[in-house]
Amino acid sequence: MVTPLLSFDFGQFMPPLLRGAGVTVGLVLASGIAGTIIGVVFGIGRSAPLAPVRWLASIYTNFIRGIPILIILLFLYYEIPLLFPYATFSQTITAMIGLSVYAGAYMAEIFRGSIQAIPRGQLEAGEALGLNYLQKMRYVVLPQALKIAVPPGIGFLIALVKASSLVSVIAATDLTRAGRIITSQNHAPLATFLVVAALYFVISYPLSLLGRWYERRLA
Amino acid sequence: MTIDFGAVLPYLPVMLKALGISIEVTVLSFFIGSVLGIFVYLGRRSGLAPLRWLAHGFIEVFRNTPLLVQLYLIYFGLPEVGINLNPFWSTLAGMTLNNAAYTAEIFRAGIESVPNGLVEAAGALGMRFSQTFRFIVLKPAIRNVLPALTNQFIVLFLFSSVGSVISLNELTSALADLNQRTLRTLEIFTIGGILYYLTSAVIAGSSRLAERYLFRW
Repeated sequence: MVTPLLSFDFGQFMPPLLRGAGVTVGLVLASGIAGTIIGVVFGIGRSAPLAPVRWLASIYTNFIRGIPILIILLFLYYEIPLLFPYATFSQTITAMIGLSVYAGAYMAEIFRGSIQAIPRGQLEAGEALGLNYLQKMRYVVLPQALKIAVPPGIGFLIALVKASSLVSVIAATDLTRAGRIITSQNHAPLATFLVVAALYFVISYPLSLLGRWYERRLA
Repeated sequence: MTIDFGAVLPYLPVMLKALGISIEVTVLSFFIGSVLGIFVYLGRRSGLAPLRWLAHGFIEVFRNTPLLVQLYLIYFGLPEVGINLNPFWSTLAGMTLNNAAYTAEIFRAGIESVPNGLVEAAGALGMRFSQTFRFIVLKPAIRNVLPALTNQFIVLFLFSSVGSVISLNELTSALADLNQRTLRTLEIFTIGGILYYLTSAVIAGSSRLAERYLFRW
């Protein structure tokens, strides 16, 4: 038997793996940005003065955080063609929608927490100054809340990198799927997936270090 | 096709049985993994440098790579070196190792959250190390880590769905299968989603109760 790691042909298989890694990074960036925007909107929604807005926002964040990302992805994968039979959607777009919906719920929860961390007295002070709800949010709460949200936000981004591997199940050609395709050619899953895991580590570990650095700076 | 939940209700028992497998693999990997996590935490605090590096490396590797790739390594990769595990044992092994890496960090944060003054006070009272740990550190530490542990338990439960990719017949796999058979995607995944959501909600609720009644003083 060949030593497993030696059986991996880097020259032949690194380019497709790196392309897959590029798709993974692109997916995480796109859905991370979309998720942050959704998260800010729904995070504010959960502290809105109108009760129905609060309910709607909390149904979304709580339900999505209570089901697996794989269920969201599979549902979209099967349901979108039923709803739009003539749309030619690439799986990467479906994957991006699913990851954004997922990220939005977690980001909303993070923003809700950081908005709540702002002392009530500051809101009352804003009230005393005659600021309306939106002004209080814009000038008093959000500038501080966004700063507090950075470390848990980075933590979630790491989780998103790993969760994004599941888009391979709905046939989006990310890093994990590139690995699967290669193993069907070289029949060396151990070596191939070790390389895949190493590439995920290279994407994710700098984020871990960044999060720790930022947290130390805040402290 | 119109929406008809009645058409998929006969499949509810199949879904509940599959949910049972999801819960089984989650509970087993959570408990075995948490015990392993205590050892990984102790390894990180060990006086032996190589042991510290090993524990640290284990934590970083498992926290920075996807569970799916870990399962592929176990299920497809290990047979190359003569270790054959079926889908259940592969999922259990992957989730256990994963959980150990996460709980080791949770235990570290919990134990470090107990003020040093308490430990010193116990020393001043003449308590031995084992007594100090048992009576002074452990209870507040468990109470401090309970929310994080609960969260980890729910995350682990949700990620048991990844087992479906290596053909473990848990809930997600059952849903995908029923979807192919009935083509009632909306109904099947709505009911499946509600089953996942309710289970997570029950876990979160019981943890809050435990916090309120078991750990008050």
